[in-house]
Amino acid sequence: MSRLARPSRNAAPVAVAIAVLGIWWLVAHNGGSGWVQAMGDVVFGTLFIGILGPAVVLTCAKINIVSAPVDCTAGTPADISFAASTRLRVCARTPFEGEAFVGPVGRRQAPEHAVALVPQRRGVLDFVTLDIATASPFALQWWTRRVLLPLPSTLYVAPRGGRPDSFHLRAHDDTGAAIDWVQTDAGQPRGARPYQPGDSRRRVHWSATAHAGELMVRELERPSAEPVTLTVVLPQDPQEADRVAERALGTITRFLERGSNVLLATLEASGPVTASVADRRGAGRRLARAVANASANANANANADTGYP
Amino acid sequence: MRTLEAIKRANRPGPPEHSIRLRAACFFTVTAAIAACASMGEVSDAAAFGAIGLVALGMVFSYFTRRHPPGWVKIVVAAAAIGVSVWFVHAVSAPAADVTSVEDPLTVLLVSVLVVHSFHVPSRRDLMFSLAASAGLMAVAGAQAIDLIFGFYVVAWAGCTVWGLIEMWASASDGGRLAPTRLGIVLATVIAAAAAIFLVLPAPQVAAKLNLLARAGDGGSIGVPGALAGDAGSPSQLSRPGTPGGPTRVGGYLGFAGSLNTALRGNLGDTVVMLVRAQRPSYWVGETFNTWNGESWSATDSATQTLRQQSPFVLPLPLGSNASGQTDLQTFYVANSTANLVFHAQSATELWFPSSKIYYSTDDTIVSPIGLGKGAIYSVESTVRTPTAGQLRTAGSDEQLPAAVEASSLQLPHAYPRVAALAEKITAGDTNNYDKVESLIAWMGAHTHYSTDIPPLPAGADTVDEFLFGNRVGFCEQISTSLAVMLRSIGVPTREAVGYVPGPYDPITDLYQVRANDAHAWVQVWFPGFGWQSFDPTAVVPLANPAPGTAALAYIGHALRRIPIVPVGGALLTFVVAATFLHWRRSRPLTWAERIAWSAERAGRRAGRPRRPDETFSEYAATLDDLTGSGSGAWRELAEPVEASAYGGHHPPPEAQRQMVRRARRLRAGRQRDEDRDLHPVA
Repeated sequence: MSRLARPSRNAAPVAVAIAVLGIWWLVAHNGGSGWVQAMGDVVFGTLFIGILGPAVVLTCAKINIVSAPVDCTAGTPADISFAASTRLRVCARTPFEGEAFVGPVGRRQAPEHAVALVPQRRGVLDFVTLDIATASPFALQWWTRRVLLPLPSTLYVAPRGGRPDSFHLRAHDDTGAAIDWVQTDAGQPRGARPYQPGDSRRRVHWSATAHAGELMVRELERPSAEPVTLTVVLPQDPQEADRVAERALGTITRFLERGSNVLLATLEASGPVTASVADRRGAGRRLARAVANASANANANANADTGYP
Repeated sequence: MRTLEAIKRANRPGPPEHSIRLRAACFFTVTAAIAACASMGEVSDAAAFGAIGLVALGMVFSYFTRRHPPGWVKIVVAAAAIGVSVWFVHAVSAPAADVTSVEDPLTVLLVSVLVVHSFHVPSRRDLMFSLAASAGLMAVAGAQAIDLIFGFYVVAWAGCTVWGLIEMWASASDGGRLAPTRLGIVLATVIAAAAAIFLVLPAPQVAAKLNLLARAGDGGSIGVPGALAGDAGSPSQLSRPGTPGGPTRVGGYLGFAGSLNTALRGNLGDTVVMLVRAQRPSYWVGETFNTWNGESWSATDSATQTLRQQSPFVLPLPLGSNASGQTDLQTFYVANSTANLVFHAQSATELWFPSSKIYYSTDDTIVSPIGLGKGAIYSVESTVRTPTAGQLRTAGSDEQLPAAVEASSLQLPHAYPRVAALAEKITAGDTNNYDKVESLIAWMGAHTHYSTDIPPLPAGADTVDEFLFGNRVGFCEQISTSLAVMLRSIGVPTREAVGYVPGPYDPITDLYQVRANDAHAWVQVWFPGFGWQSFDPTAVVPLANPAPGTAALAYIGHALRRIPIVPVGGALLTFVVAATFLHWRRSRPLTWAERIAWSAERAGRRAGRPRRPDETFSEYAATLDDLTGSGSGAWRELAEPVEASAYGGHHPPPEAQRQMVRRARRLRAGRQRDEDRDLHPVA
């Protein structure tokens, strides 16, 4: 990134400045008064500093990211705290969106400001690209500069939670009656325990209740079923890849809600990775790291409707 | 279509401007500009007060209608602006109007535009226009300013303008404010840039005749037509030749009286006689003399004619001059009553003068029919020829003086054998008149001394003999007369001229300050083809054209030397101590919790209930809530997170901290209504 600042929409201020100085020069030239020249010089100095000063301020400005979340989701604001040496307008560049002012607003004001930036795409980010701008001190001319700021820690932008793939959820239920049914009490009974708020009434153990004198529910062991293996192959087109990742995340989330073990197979920059995911955050990170598979892209068309083999 | 779109885009109203500070700064800027115009007499005091009141009213109206400015206001403002513009064009283009009086209508135009525009300034861009228009008004006022008093208006206007620009940045950046140190750096940079331009660029020069002034002062009429007046401080009292016991006039050089007694200099003092704005420094000629009687100069054989016409007067070309040469426009502002001579740079060709007639002599002397008292202004255009030394050395003999003039310019009352011998000896190796003049001037520079502290010459003594063959100490009249007589003795046509030297140049006002003791006498020598050329033997070093930078540095140095060291040093020391103390007090940054506590304590002190040493912040906050009587418990709500932060280490997010500090500030300022509005925003 260049440290050089560039003017933003410079035609109007420069034209106005030239017009003012031109009129001033005419008056001075015709009137010949030293006061006119002295004031004209002050006006020139003010315009000079007002138009070129922001470039110096911007070149000398220091801005860095103080804190940022580790995980976030595309399309959802992520609060990133900036510390700036002077008042700056920051405009996030791709993959982020958002604009705000950061930096001190007074002598005693802390120079840190949290700005809600919205990542538009999934991915793994170590830097944030910003257009910083200022018109200090006189708001006569805005200058901008593009900066690349390192994040304190790697930011995983998970894809949006897309609609889960209904084909796999209905694979063993083709009657249509249980489309939205989620099995939450699967497993073998292990014992009974006192009822706790939130327990399903279907798990109430009436015999134990009668025996214990208080409401008891069955304790179930998790099913020892084989984990569900999901292989996500992302196409080359970034937008299509995001859509596939969103559907994959939705599907994984549904599986996790069912209590299933999920093995996620993706292709990352370091190579193919197959590992279980324990929760939505883990799945989001995995999908954030996933990259398109060029060799498998030929098969992607065949599985384009689901994204899974 | 793109142009149409651009115009539409440019006319699209900007977002409403909510900053009261910015509006206040703009109001004071406009007020300073209008007051500056009033001080220059371009608008009456009543009109200025009315305009300022209307601008204040308009600013208030604009503030309250900033969100939804009424459509009719824009129409009325546009119609008024168009109307006053039409009036301006009519005023400056009417046949009866003087083209020199364009500035008063221009002032009225700008003031009117500022007044009507103040009723429609909903956005920041509109306020910016007000600032720019006030700059135009200041330029018009500055064009009339001839003294340093105007500097107060300039400082006030510049300060308000910078304040407005800083508020503009605060508004544009959502509260960004410059720290005092940075503000100081910015202002210093602005001043440095302005000073650099001031020093580098040449001073503006009057290049058009739009602004040539002519105004009668408090001189009054003169009883004897064509006579010289200005004695004893009265511009209408006829002048008398100077005598050793005679009065010394204000600016009263004894030579401005029809004859020049070279035995006397008089005590002229340093009263400012007049201020001159000119394109270049010149000797301001008042009178020329051609007849020397051994003691005094007088003017004879010069035909005086009365010019009767409307100003400007077109003057006949002086003898030996031609129309070619550089134009030199000068405006003379009479500061104290002086002789009724119309001073001018050599070879005046046009005169703007507040009378219906003037008296003009072929020897380049112009006499006013009215006394020139304080406040009188007149302008002169001269055609100045500045031939080089080479041109003067090779000046041909194709243009000869009229016989009578040549005789008078070589006239001597008696033979000066010793003078002639001395002159011939000095100019023995010279083959042309220019070299002879230069040799004689060089000799006088090496062998004579200047002093005004000499006794008057005895009655009947020949000034030249006394000077050249006495102690060779004298003043300018004696030095120049000696040169003139030496030149005449070797056949070089010469005459004596009196007037003023340019005086010190003030780079701020762009005026030459001519004082009484700047009265001077010098020599004019005839050169065929170039006419009368001035030579000053008193100033052997030729007069240099003062660069604005050099003049400004000299001016600053002179001003610095006049600063009283003790009081200024004491004030500076006090300021430094106070600034150091304040800096020390404020150097420790306050946390957000401390700022809230500070706001609470300040609000309590204002309400007459300071915080007791044994009182917790929560207790004090509850007391404050009871004191305000709002019952909202706002201070208690703020006290909880403050104490949680101070004693529990629970810090809210930065944005929440900022909101709480802002809320405390509003509570401190007593803006409960704002507070309620923020808590319950209207959807």
